[in-house]
Amino acid sequence: MTKDTHIVKSYGEELQFLNDSIIQMGSLTESLLADSMNAITILDKEAVDRIVQSDKKINEYRAKIDTQIMTLLVKRAPMAIDLRITITALRISQDLERIGDLAKGNAKKMLPLPQNLSEDLLKSLKRLGTLVESQLNKSIDAYIKKSKDIAVEIIKLDSNVNELTYLSIKEILSFLSKDTKNLEYATNLLFVAKNLERAGDHINRIAENIYYLVEGDYYKKK
Amino acid sequence: MTKEQRLQKRYASEKRFKSYGIISICLALTFVGLLVFKVLSEGTSAFVKTSIQLELNFDHKLLNTSKQPTQEEIEDIDFYDFTLQHILKVFPTSNRDEEKQLIKLFTSDFEFEVKKYFKANPDILNKVITLNITASSDLDQLHKGNYQRDIPENRRKISNFQLKIYDQLLEKKKINKVFNNYFFTNGDSRNPEIAGIGGAMLGSFFSILVCLIIAFPIALLAAVYLEEFAPKNKFTDFIEININNLAAVPSIVFGLLGLGILLNVFELPRSTSLVGGITLALMTLPRIIIPCRASLKAVPPSIREAALAVGASKVQSVIHHVVPLAMPGTLSGTIIGLAQALGETAPLLLIGMVAFVVQVPGSPLDPSASLPIQVYLWSESAERGFVEKTSATIMVLLGFLIIMNSIAVYARQKFEKKWI
Amino acid sequence: MDLMTDTKIKISANHLNVFYGQKQALFDISLDINQNEVTALIGPSGCGKSTFIRCINRMNDVIDICRVEGEIKIDKKNIYEPGIDIVSLREKVGMVFQKPNPFPKSIYDNVCYGPKIHGIAETKDDLDAIVENSLKKAALWNEVKDRLQEPGTSLSGGQQQRLCIARAISVNPEVILMDEPCSALDPVATAKIEELIDELKQSFTIVIVTHSMSQAVRVSQKTGFFHLGKLIEVGTTEKIFKNPTNNMTQDYITGRFG
Repeated sequence: MTKDTHIVKSYGEELQFLNDSIIQMGSLTESLLADSMNAITILDKEAVDRIVQSDKKINEYRAKIDTQIMTLLVKRAPMAIDLRITITALRISQDLERIGDLAKGNAKKMLPLPQNLSEDLLKSLKRLGTLVESQLNKSIDAYIKKSKDIAVEIIKLDSNVNELTYLSIKEILSFLSKDTKNLEYATNLLFVAKNLERAGDHINRIAENIYYLVEGDYYKKK
Repeated sequence: MTKEQRLQKRYASEKRFKSYGIISICLALTFVGLLVFKVLSEGTSAFVKTSIQLELNFDHKLLNTSKQPTQEEIEDIDFYDFTLQHILKVFPTSNRDEEKQLIKLFTSDFEFEVKKYFKANPDILNKVITLNITASSDLDQLHKGNYQRDIPENRRKISNFQLKIYDQLLEKKKINKVFNNYFFTNGDSRNPEIAGIGGAMLGSFFSILVCLIIAFPIALLAAVYLEEFAPKNKFTDFIEININNLAAVPSIVFGLLGLGILLNVFELPRSTSLVGGITLALMTLPRIIIPCRASLKAVPPSIREAALAVGASKVQSVIHHVVPLAMPGTLSGTIIGLAQALGETAPLLLIGMVAFVVQVPGSPLDPSASLPIQVYLWSESAERGFVEKTSATIMVLLGFLIIMNSIAVYARQKFEKKWI
Repeated sequence: MDLMTDTKIKISANHLNVFYGQKQALFDISLDINQNEVTALIGPSGCGKSTFIRCINRMNDVIDICRVEGEIKIDKKNIYEPGIDIVSLREKVGMVFQKPNPFPKSIYDNVCYGPKIHGIAETKDDLDAIVENSLKKAALWNEVKDRLQEPGTSLSGGQQQRLCIARAISVNPEVILMDEPCSALDPVATAKIEELIDELKQSFTIVIVTHSMSQAVRVSQKTGFFHLGKLIEVGTTEKIFKNPTNNMTQDYITGRFG
């Protein structure tokens, strides 16, 4: 896209640090999301502990990236692509942090599974979780490769996320109407579904930012 | 060699270098000092002249004229006889020889001094006045201590009789030194006591004036054209080389030029300041063009660009901005060139300003000498009285040169402060 | 981008080629400068931006070996046609230089020189009015109104440059060319001049050559990027600095080469 090295090497290194930090933050968020899904479905207690640690680390990355961006803006007055790299790093880090918070929130709602649970209850929810995980994975991939095509794919799949959420909620509500004993559990599952939808929105925004980074223009739905 | 040793060596060589400079300056000052001292010691005495007090009774009967003489009658008065009577009254003698020697004690023009005084103050008729009459050159030199008294009479300029009279005058305190106004007002003369540089000063003044009027505008315009407008090609290079060479040409060559063209072809009047001025102008032209061009070159191009950018034409930018900025350098170059021209002798010799000119010139068209030429003429004379006058003339000349150079320095400083 | 008002083209360069002797300095430059806008020309040293700007008021005529081919039209009239009066051209197109170069005269004389030689004002009152007006427009009046007779060179660097701007304005030009006007000035003086440029564009068309990228962004509406005598890219300042089309432009403005 453009020549890699700046005349002032430390400038290039600062931008590279941003890039790497986002990628690492993204990987952490990915595992956090996976762990949170496991916590809900398999009730993995150790996963919950891991989640708390990962979330802490994600917040640290967020702070580091913030400081780096302030320094870059003040020191370098970045232009064109460097400006877009800086601004999208800021936005993506915000979105990743929110995704992490949502995943953590989901895990905390873990409750003992009721007996005689129908497998179908969690079917759509599991599918939703898998889809959101794959969206997140794709978005990190798109960021590493700086690929606008992958970003467009993510944006296009966002509607699937919304559909699956709707399906999940329907299933949970129908379960609830038949079995009022597990009210708390079902309510929590509703929140989980909503959180996953919101995570999907954040991932969609990440993809839009990656598109903007590469193209210099915002993605327009046709 | 350690660092300290190197440092010491460096300091030592700096000290040595500085001392060389100081020694050189001291040597130069010594030479200048010797010159000035010699000139001053010989020349200061020329600014005073010896005069003898004589009592004169301007009785109209003694003057052999009517009670109320008309202008015509005053012209007819024989002041020589009148004065001689009064001299003999003081030193009566019947010896013709002694009478002659008495008269020789006074300047040969003594009757004209009395006449001039009488004509200037007609109310002294029938009164007794004591006048200071200029002494002759020999008496003047004797009184100034330049003649030896204790050598045999036939080797002296003053006879024993004259010495006797001199001593009497000294005793009676009738002999004294007064300011020598003749030095500045009179032209050249065979008699040293009344010879002056008045003619030479005016001759120099007119020559320099003519030189300035001709050389300055031509040089300025030539330099401006060559520097600002002329295309840069082989021909203009050729001109520049020639101008530089002309500045180094011996000045006597310009005298030949003046002789050959101004006098022979154009038949201008010989020995005049006009011709002298034109010759000096030719010589001074390159000496003004060169510093003027250097000053023009030194004007930063940003000024020219600024003027052009505002919409001035090339001529306007040069006249309104470049030339005024080049003025300090040009003026000081001009004044130095003129000072050099003031001291030139050889070219003026060839065009005839070496003539013996008694009358002080009234215009550049009158024949005259110039100061350096006057120095040359008098230095060749055998008379003792001219020695001091030569040195005095050199003093006057040096004085003018110092003044002109000081004006150059002052003008340069003043202009530079104003513009930059 | 805000509303596109009726932008008239004030200056238009068409296939301009400039040679210094055998060496070609500008290659086929075609560029439009809009009226009442600030157009910035950026590029590394020796890329030809100063050469280009000096063609607009024909200051390159002063250099003997400089040869210009092509045309530059101001208000649709080609200024390189034979028979063009250069003095009137320079009355219409003023210039401010990199190093402030006031005349070594009084402040008053600096500003009234132009009007005098162009015959714009004859009487002292007219000249006084023009001097006051120009110094006010150049944001210098309040600082010098009590000392108009002092030499222009007694002012500080920033004030001198504003004096040069006042001098350029005094003949009522239509275009002002600025060749790196702030490169010799401190940041405060630079800021004052940038503010001035912002105001001046309402009355004049301004073309500015600058080495400072951020200055070009702050001050101009249109930017042209020159490199080795060629015009690589030209466009609105926003586009050039946020998302340039050409890679070389991007590399230059992000400091990847220079």
